[in-house]
Amino acid sequence: MRWGWLALAAALLLYPWLVAGTGSAAFLQDMGALALLAAIGASAWNILGGFAGQISVGHAMFFGAGAYLPLLLYQQWHLPPLLGVPLGVGVSLLLALVVGLPTFRLQGHYFSMATIAVAELIRIVVSNWDLLGAAIGLQGPAMSPHWWDLTFRSAVPYYYIFLGVLTVLLVVTWHMQRSRLGYYLRAVRAGERAARSLGVPVRRYKLYALMLSATFTSLAGSLYALKTGFIDPDSGLGILVSVQLIITAALGGAGTLLGPLLGAAILIPLQTATNTWFGGSGSGLTYIIYGAIIVLIARFEPGGLLELWRHRVAPRLGKRREGSHAA
Amino acid sequence: MLLSAEKVAKAFGSFKAVAGADLHVEVGEIVGLIGPNGAGKSTFFNCIAGDLRPSEGRVVFDGVDVTNAPAETHARLGIGRTFQVPATFEDMTILENVMVGAFLRHPQRGAARARALKIIEMTGLGAQAEQRARNLGTPGRKRLEIARVLATEPRLMLLDEALAGLTPVEIQRAMELVREIHRLGITIVIVEHVMEVILTLARRVLVFNQGHIIASGTPQDIVNDPKVIEAYLGRGHGRQARQA
Repeated sequence: MRWGWLALAAALLLYPWLVAGTGSAAFLQDMGALALLAAIGASAWNILGGFAGQISVGHAMFFGAGAYLPLLLYQQWHLPPLLGVPLGVGVSLLLALVVGLPTFRLQGHYFSMATIAVAELIRIVVSNWDLLGAAIGLQGPAMSPHWWDLTFRSAVPYYYIFLGVLTVLLVVTWHMQRSRLGYYLRAVRAGERAARSLGVPVRRYKLYALMLSATFTSLAGSLYALKTGFIDPDSGLGILVSVQLIITAALGGAGTLLGPLLGAAILIPLQTATNTWFGGSGSGLTYIIYGAIIVLIARFEPGGLLELWRHRVAPRLGKRREGSHAA
Repeated sequence: MLLSAEKVAKAFGSFKAVAGADLHVEVGEIVGLIGPNGAGKSTFFNCIAGDLRPSEGRVVFDGVDVTNAPAETHARLGIGRTFQVPATFEDMTILENVMVGAFLRHPQRGAARARALKIIEMTGLGAQAEQRARNLGTPGRKRLEIARVLATEPRLMLLDEALAGLTPVEIQRAMELVREIHRLGITIVIVEHVMEVILTLARRVLVFNQGHIIASGTPQDIVNDPKVIEAYLGRGHGRQARQA
């Protein structure tokens, strides 16, 4: 197990160097950075959607808050975008409270529908708000002489920044999983009534999960905006942003530590490939793939690929190994 | 007085599931609640456990008015309950299920785990501690529910048909477990259809019918009460009990 972790860490740390020698180094490094970013977003969603079982389809509002604030500060007041990162987190936490307090009385699909409604409302308001660039969006600094503007020509610095944030998020999630918070969230997911009867303050813990999840989703949004240097209502607040977080987490395994990472490692290369092969029409294909993944996960393995491995593949491998020992 | 429920009523629309029931429980008692299906026992139970808010009346636990308090407050104050249909956390292991209960009094993982392991041993689930709850049969699930509640260190345990659906041998084992819990100093209120359980365990029995308590007394008084025989036990039961 320890070797597995070391191998994973080494692979992630060395990836930009491993692909540096190939003909398409810049492309592969950029894809690596995007995969890490997707893993951050999906891991953040996973805290609420996976561990606590509260399926939010409106996480784009937190992603959008994180993405808009840094670029807003830069475009309107020429302040370093980095200052907008904590502000984005602050706005996200406020949104989490405003959304969570009334909607956590709702359960199941009702909560999901409420989150869609709020996120869409925010997208529509932002699309018509001139301060936030309305439908055109906001732009970040071009190549800045200051390092703190985080504008780099190469994807490699972004790769390592994203890797750092992902590591912090995974460590936080790992601790959460082993603590009372983690156990309580899983109990809430399994049955709110039973959890309450054992003394779990269900609404309060759901709110904790939402706030933690919103914080890191907001960070993912900020990192995205800093890397691309541009944000508009669709790329920052569109429902597909939320859907991508969900699918990435669900494909790998919602409610597991490494599931979102696995989901990102599969989805992002797939998405990049379809975009490269099919050009502009490839974006339509991406949606078809999303749809197919949702159907396949729901039908065959709601636990995602990690569950598939644990319950169907690993036991068979174990048996085969035992068989060969016996022979 | 540990628990005092006065004139508790619960209506769903125009239907009165419980129409003014009283229950007073002293520390260390085992009280049985019986009655035909749909008599209002479980609704009354849910009102005491904080799962439902009574439409009228008052529930006081150890001097604290808990009538409108949420279920988690009941648990914190020391009221534990099991469910008629076991509500175990299916994807969690038995140990993890019990740890959720133990975290209430032991916020640190190590302490909660140690406490949970002790209770799992006591309730006879030790061999299956690392199995997922979904792999347990009915007796195991009922035991797990009891273990989980015990982990919250309750002073009053409300057992809602905790022995229903068990074979005679399993019932004997479960009754032994209830006695052991009682020996720990935990007061017990038990809703049960298996008369053998009520007659053996409870010192005082209340009989529900159509939302009202129609009789209360010792098990012997109850089996001989004509109103109880008419509403629940059926003719012949009293005679059998007397012969026994």
